[in-house]
Amino acid sequence: MRSAVNKNTIRNAVAIVAGLIALAVFPLLSGNPYYIHLVETIMIYAILLFGLDIVVGYTGQVSLGHAGLFGVGAYTAGVLFMKLGMPFYVTAPLAIAVTAGFGAILALPALRVSGPYLAMVTLAFGTIIQILINEMDFLTSGPLGIKIPKPAFGGARMNETEYYWLVAALLVVSLVVVHRVLKSHLGRAFEALRDSPIASDCMGVSVYRYKVYAFVISAGFAGLAGCLYSYSEQYISPNTYNFELTILFLLAIIMGGRKTRSGALLGSTIIVLLPKLLDDIASFRVVATILAVAVVLGALFALARHTTTPRRVAIPVLGTAGLAAFSYRIDALTDWRLTIFGLMILLVVYYLQDGVVGFVRKFFMHGRVRTVTVSTEQPAEIVADAIVAVRDGSREDILNVRGIVMQFSGLKALNDVDLAVRRGTIHGLIGPNGSGKSTMMNVLTGIYTPTAGSIEYAGQPLAGRTSADIALSGIARTFQNVQLFGEMTALENVLVGLHHTFHSNFADVGLLSRRYRAEEHAARVRAFSMLRFVGLDGVAGEEARSLPYGKQRLLEIARALALDPQLLLLDEPAAGLTAPDIKELVTIIRKVRDHGITVMLIEHHMDVVMNVCDTVSVLDFGQKIAEGRPAEIQADEKVIEAYLGGIAA
Amino acid sequence: MAILLQLIYSGIALGMIYAVIAFGYQLTFATSGTLNFGQGDALMLGALVGLTLVTLGVNYWLMIPLVCLFGLAQGAFVERIGVRPAIKIKSEFGWIMSTIALGIIFKNVAENVWGRDDLRFPSPLPESPLHLFGANVLPMELLVVGGALLMMLAVEFFNRKSIFGKAVVATSNDRDAAALMGINTGLVITFSYALSSLTAAFAGVLIAPLTLTGATMGAVLGLKAFAVAIIGGLSSGMGIIVGGVILGIAETTTGFYLSTGYKDVPGLVLLLIVLAMKPAGLFGKTAIKKV
Repeated sequence: MRSAVNKNTIRNAVAIVAGLIALAVFPLLSGNPYYIHLVETIMIYAILLFGLDIVVGYTGQVSLGHAGLFGVGAYTAGVLFMKLGMPFYVTAPLAIAVTAGFGAILALPALRVSGPYLAMVTLAFGTIIQILINEMDFLTSGPLGIKIPKPAFGGARMNETEYYWLVAALLVVSLVVVHRVLKSHLGRAFEALRDSPIASDCMGVSVYRYKVYAFVISAGFAGLAGCLYSYSEQYISPNTYNFELTILFLLAIIMGGRKTRSGALLGSTIIVLLPKLLDDIASFRVVATILAVAVVLGALFALARHTTTPRRVAIPVLGTAGLAAFSYRIDALTDWRLTIFGLMILLVVYYLQDGVVGFVRKFFMHGRVRTVTVSTEQPAEIVADAIVAVRDGSREDILNVRGIVMQFSGLKALNDVDLAVRRGTIHGLIGPNGSGKSTMMNVLTGIYTPTAGSIEYAGQPLAGRTSADIALSGIARTFQNVQLFGEMTALENVLVGLHHTFHSNFADVGLLSRRYRAEEHAARVRAFSMLRFVGLDGVAGEEARSLPYGKQRLLEIARALALDPQLLLLDEPAAGLTAPDIKELVTIIRKVRDHGITVMLIEHHMDVVMNVCDTVSVLDFGQKIAEGRPAEIQADEKVIEAYLGGIAA
Repeated sequence: MAILLQLIYSGIALGMIYAVIAFGYQLTFATSGTLNFGQGDALMLGALVGLTLVTLGVNYWLMIPLVCLFGLAQGAFVERIGVRPAIKIKSEFGWIMSTIALGIIFKNVAENVWGRDDLRFPSPLPESPLHLFGANVLPMELLVVGGALLMMLAVEFFNRKSIFGKAVVATSNDRDAAALMGINTGLVITFSYALSSLTAAFAGVLIAPLTLTGATMGAVLGLKAFAVAIIGGLSSGMGIIVGGVILGIAETTTGFYLSTGYKDVPGLVLLLIVLAMKPAGLFGKTAIKKV
C-alpha cells in the first residue's frame, strides 16, 4: 500500500515537472506568435475556470455572470492604465480586488436563497455589466474600446514570449493556490455545504457565509484572468463579455470535468479551439465524423457489456450522427455556432456528467472520481482522549425552555412546552411518533424559529440566532435521517466538525503559513482520535456513504463531538442498530456524559432510555405529559395511555 | 405632468407583459420547482411565428389561437428534452443548463430562419393615440393590459374549476402525494411547461406590434420577467402584477429622464434590493424547510 502511494506520488511529480517544462519551452520551440497567443488565451481562460469550478463544481451553484466578472477585471486594468497610467503590478491586484468586490455585491443578496436565484441574478449582472461598459463612456470610452500595451517592467516593455511566461507563471500560482484552498478546511466547507446544507449549518459551518466566500474567491480569479486578457489582446471592447462567453465558460467546466484541475485545463483548450474549428468547415466535418463514430462505438461497447439500454443510447447516437450529416449539408458554420454550443451542452449535461476527465478516469480506473483526497495515513501521535471535557461546576440548568409553541399553519407541533435540562445529565425525550420530539431538536438548533416562547442556553437566550451560531456556542446534534457528507471520507466528515478550530484565512492557506499547517496537523490528529473513540479509525479513508448504516450513525456522533459541545442532542441514535452495536452506543453515551457533556437523547428503544437516562420527559401531541426518573415514567399512567391507548370502558 | 402620465401608461403596458411572462415562471415552478431559462425565447418564437402567419394573410385575431397552439407544443418539447431527464436525476444544474442550451438553440435557429434584423409587426388596431386624463395612450397598449389580465384569469379559472386544473394544483402542493393519488405528475409538469410557453407566446404577439420583432427580443424580456417574479414572489399571483407594473414604470421613466441605455438597470437593482431585504418577494410566503 505504502509503495503504491509513493509510486503514484513519483509519477505525479514527474508528470508535473514534464508539463511545466513543456509549458515553458513551448514558445521557443514553436516560434509562431499566433500559436503562442492561442496557448496564452487557453491559460488565461484556465485561470478563470479554476475559480468558476469552485462555485460550480464544489458548492454546486450555477453562475452565469463570470463573463461579466471577467469584463470587470479587464476593464479595471484597462481604465487604470488609460486614465492613470498605472503599471501592471498595480493594476493586477486592483483588478482582483475590484472584481472580488463585485462578486460580493452579487453573492450577498443572491445566496440568501437557494435554488436558481444565483443563476438568474448573475445572468442579469452579466447583461448590466455590458450595458454599463457601453454607456459609461466617460470611464470606459464605450463601444470604442481601450487600447492597452503589454506591461512594462523597469522601462522595458515585454514582448509576446515574455508575457507568455508571465501568464504561465501566474497560471501555475493560481493552480497551486486553488489546489491548496480546496484541500484545506475551506474546501471541505464548500463540499460539505453542497452534500448537506443543514448538517453544515449544524456543524457551525454557515452555508450562506461559505457560499459567498466561494463566490468571492471565484470572482477574484475571474478578475485576474480578465486583467491578463486585456494585456494579452492589447485591446478591449464591451462586446467580448457577452452571454455567449458565459455559456462557453460553463461548457468548458462541465465538458472538461468538474472538481478537477485537469478538467479546467482541458475545458479551456476546447473552448479556445472550438470557435477556430467552427470557422473551418472542412476540419469540422472531420471532427464531427470522428465524434459520431466514437459515440457509436462507445454505445455498441456499452451495449455489449450490458451497462446500458438501446433506448438510453438512442439520443446521443442520433444526435452526433445528425450533427455529422448536418455538417455536410451546410457551407458555413459561423451562423450555427450557438446551436452547436447548445447541442454540446445538452449532450454533456446528460451523457457526460463527469466531463471528459471524469469519463476517462472511470474508464481506466473503474474507480470513483476524486481529486483532492486527504492522506489517510495515521498520524504518529494520537491523543488518548480527544474529547474536550466540560468542567463547569455550576449546578444550574444548561437548557431552559419556557412555553415553546411551534406552529405549522394549522398544526401545533409543539404546544406550550417547558423543559429544563440539568447540566451533566443524560436527559431522555420520548413520545409516540409525531409527538414533536424532532421538532424540539430543530427548534433548539435554530432550524425552526419557534412561534412563541423562549429558550435559554447556558444563561443566554437563543432567539434570533442562526443554526451555525448556535452550533458554535456549543450545541451539537445528530440527525434522525443520517445527514453525513456522503462524498467525503469519514475523516473529512469529522474534520468539518473541527472547522471551528481553524483560524487561518484564505491567505494563510494559499501561502501554507505556519499557523495553517499547525492547525491542520492538530485537527487531523484530533479527528483520528475522535474516530478511534467511536471505533471507526479503521475506516477513516472510506467515503461516508459507503459505510454500513450503524457506522454512519456512530460517525455522526463523532462529527458532533468534534464541535466540542456542552450539550449533545442525539436524535434516535439506536435506530437500525443491532444489539451489540446498541451496547457499544450506550457505552459511548456514558463516556460522553463522564466528560461533563450534557446529553439529550431522543430514542424509541426503551431499554436504552431506561438504562442510561437520569431524567426522562414524555411528549404527546406536542405537549409534555410527564417528566421524572425512568422508573417513575415507566409507572406513569398517562404515559402508558399515550403509548398503548386508553383502557376501553 | 402629461409626460409623466404617459410614461406611466406605457410603463403599465410593459409591466403587464412582464407579469404574463413571470406568470409562466410561476406555473412551472409550482409544479416542478424548475424554471425555463428560455422563457424569453418562447416569447420571441411566438412573436415571429405570429408575424409569419400575419404575413401569410392570416387575420391577427385568428392568428392568436394558432400561436397559442404553437406555444403549447414548444413548451412540451422543452420539458421533454430538457427538464424531464434532469428531474429524474434530481439535478438542478442539469435543468438550468439544458433550458439555457435550448434557449440559445431556439434563438440561433430563429436568427437563421427569420434573419438578424428586427422586423416590424403590423398593428391590428388603429395607431392614432386616444386621450385619457390628458395623456396619450395607444389602443394597442390597452389591448396588452386587457389581454394579459384575461390570460392570467383564464389560467387561474382553469386551475380552480376544472378537474385537470385540480390535478395541477395538487401537484404543486405535494408532488409525491399527488402521484400516490394516481395523478400522472409527469404529464402535469409537461402540461405546466406547455401552458407556460403558451402564455409567453401570447405575450409575444401582444407586445410585438408595440416594439420590433426579432430573434434577440426575448432574452432581456425573459430576464426582467424573472426579476418581476422574484420581486412579487414566486408564489403570488397579485405580486407579479404589482411587481410588473413597478418595474415597467421604473423603466419607462428611467429611459426618459436618464437615458434609454440605462433602462434595463432598475430591474436588476430592484431585484438585488428585494433579495437582500425580503428574499421571498414582496407578496410571497417564506417556505419552511423540513429536516
